[in-house]
Amino acid sequence: MVAFLDVIGKALTGKPCSERDYDLKIFSTKLREVVKEYDIKYDPENLVPSDNSLADDIFKAAFDFYCEVGTYCKDTERTIKFDESEIKDRLRNAPSKIVFGEGVDAGTMVPRKPEDRTPPWRFVGAGGVAVSSEDVFMGLVENYAKISIANSITTPTLTRVNGIRIRPYSPLEILGAIRTVALGREAIRRAGRPGLPIMNSIATADSAIALVTGLHPEYGLRPTDGYMVATLAELKTNFDLLNRACALMSLGLPTAAIFGPIFGGYCGGPEGTAVVTVAYHLMGALVYQAGWFLAFPIHIKHIASSMPELLWVASVYAQAISRNTHLLALYYDYTAAGPCTKMALYEMAAQYTAAITSGVSMETGGIAKGRREDYLTPVEPRFAAEVAYAAAGMKREDANEIVKNLVSKYVDKIADPPIGMKYQECCDIKTGKPSRKCLNIYNGVRKELKDLGLDLSRT
Amino acid sequence: MSEEELLRKLSEAVISCDRETVVKAAQQAIEKGLDPVKAIEKGLSKGAIVVGEKFDKLEIFLTDLMMAADAMKAGLDVLLPLIPKEKASRKGTVVSGTVKGDIHDIGKNILAALFSANGFDVYDLGADVVTSKFIEEAEKVGADIITLSALMSSTIGGQKDVIDYLRETGKREKFIVMVGGGPTTREWAEEIGADGYAETATEAVKTALELIEKKRS
Repeated sequence: MVAFLDVIGKALTGKPCSERDYDLKIFSTKLREVVKEYDIKYDPENLVPSDNSLADDIFKAAFDFYCEVGTYCKDTERTIKFDESEIKDRLRNAPSKIVFGEGVDAGTMVPRKPEDRTPPWRFVGAGGVAVSSEDVFMGLVENYAKISIANSITTPTLTRVNGIRIRPYSPLEILGAIRTVALGREAIRRAGRPGLPIMNSIATADSAIALVTGLHPEYGLRPTDGYMVATLAELKTNFDLLNRACALMSLGLPTAAIFGPIFGGYCGGPEGTAVVTVAYHLMGALVYQAGWFLAFPIHIKHIASSMPELLWVASVYAQAISRNTHLLALYYDYTAAGPCTKMALYEMAAQYTAAITSGVSMETGGIAKGRREDYLTPVEPRFAAEVAYAAAGMKREDANEIVKNLVSKYVDKIADPPIGMKYQECCDIKTGKPSRKCLNIYNGVRKELKDLGLDLSRT
Repeated sequence: MSEEELLRKLSEAVISCDRETVVKAAQQAIEKGLDPVKAIEKGLSKGAIVVGEKFDKLEIFLTDLMMAADAMKAGLDVLLPLIPKEKASRKGTVVSGTVKGDIHDIGKNILAALFSANGFDVYDLGADVVTSKFIEEAEKVGADIITLSALMSSTIGGQKDVIDYLRETGKREKFIVMVGGGPTTREWAEEIGADGYAETATEAVKTALELIEKKRS
């Protein structure tokens, strides 16, 4: 079995190469080769394909690809590579379930399969999108925790401490990390669900030092919360990220590897992006020894994941992982449109229908491309969780029709989407209650989905 | 080979990311007595414009863009030394980097490649660049533009730091400052006093050209 110290050894002694050579000569060349060898082809008519052999070929291609290219360590300028038996061994021994949360709010995350009736894990909230103040943070998190079908909470990111904008690797980041933890726990307690796990704990911590500070039990995090370590595009890491993994591992905390392969970047088109998304799961399992996995493939130009090519990627990577491993895999969405718009709800419904029927669980993610401060409400995460719940058990071919129908409602607007409204404009600031306008949009789209065959009242 | 054929060869070799052919064609152009300015403008740059358009439509992807930019640069390395400085009609000089604390570089790499492809001289400082380094480099190379990338909501403050530093050291008017990257918006650019903002690298090139023209006029 590969131990974490072996990974560090490989980072120090692996084959040296420049980052540019890794990107252009190793990564891109091998990726093109495996896509061609396994004859992987995007099909715009089948955004949620029912072809199991396609999913299995993508898995095999990703396996071969990762064996060959490994992970690039930017600090040592060497590649961390694993052989076939090391990867297979790790996949066999990776956790097949993790209990998150405490008391009555505890739940068990389990793997799923395509068309599985097992409800997906519903990881609900801001997905780390930025907010301008602690008041907005508290209002949102309290209302996320009130979403009855939420299994866990993803908090926003604080951008200021006492009005001063946080700078990375500064004391402000450490203070921001502590506040994120303490405020998140308090907001959940106020909602009456004190045991609900926070699974993007310390969203505000970019650096290992801020993460480690926020881990102190004094501030309220628990071993049953979730913890994340990011990767760098594509298939890269550095010592700071490895430090995070090391710190979390030393405390036995359930760690996720998170990754956003870029469609149009070094991954190339949809086929390459699907292969790389699967390869990232292998990287996470081995390099970070992760127990759960969060994927957010994203469009290089539109900074969203609701376009047809990316829906196909979401479906086929999910099928490849869920059919060929027992890894605990989640999908995270980016919408082009902002809160309190029909378009954002269509985009979410398309993405979660594709991903959930293909065998993974979900985290609600970057609304309005995740780029606008305070463009968050509790309505969109609730809607997304309901879609995820309702889509479980649906046949892929039925999901395909629903997804294509939804895409037709927004695809022409992706380049110039409606930005929607801020939390302060959509919701009552004191109670977090959404406005009538926002609820009317939500109810209207729920009705449209019911007519399409996705009944959210099942929840 | 006629002049027209040579220019076409230069352009097509950039489009097909064929560095070796670009270098050979550039050398042939010199041997044939072709004006190097013309070889750049009607050959290399023409190909680069096509590459930029194809990338914008995602008919090609980042790897192709980077390799085409490499091929273009190899051709420029052959041709530019033959042009007297006053005749080298480069579009402008750009110092580019991702701000302090932010280790993401793909967006910045795309930007650098597209700026190069569109006739700018680009000095790429990489990622996690300290504030003063942008200014030192810009002064050293006589830059027209400083571009500041940031990918995280926690790192965009670094863009403001560079602009504040410029202002407080009396150098703000010397450079056009453009910002971009995942969490940045037009409103943010206005708030911190940037001269330009673009959501995509293609838009950034257009904005840069407009800003330079405005400044020079």
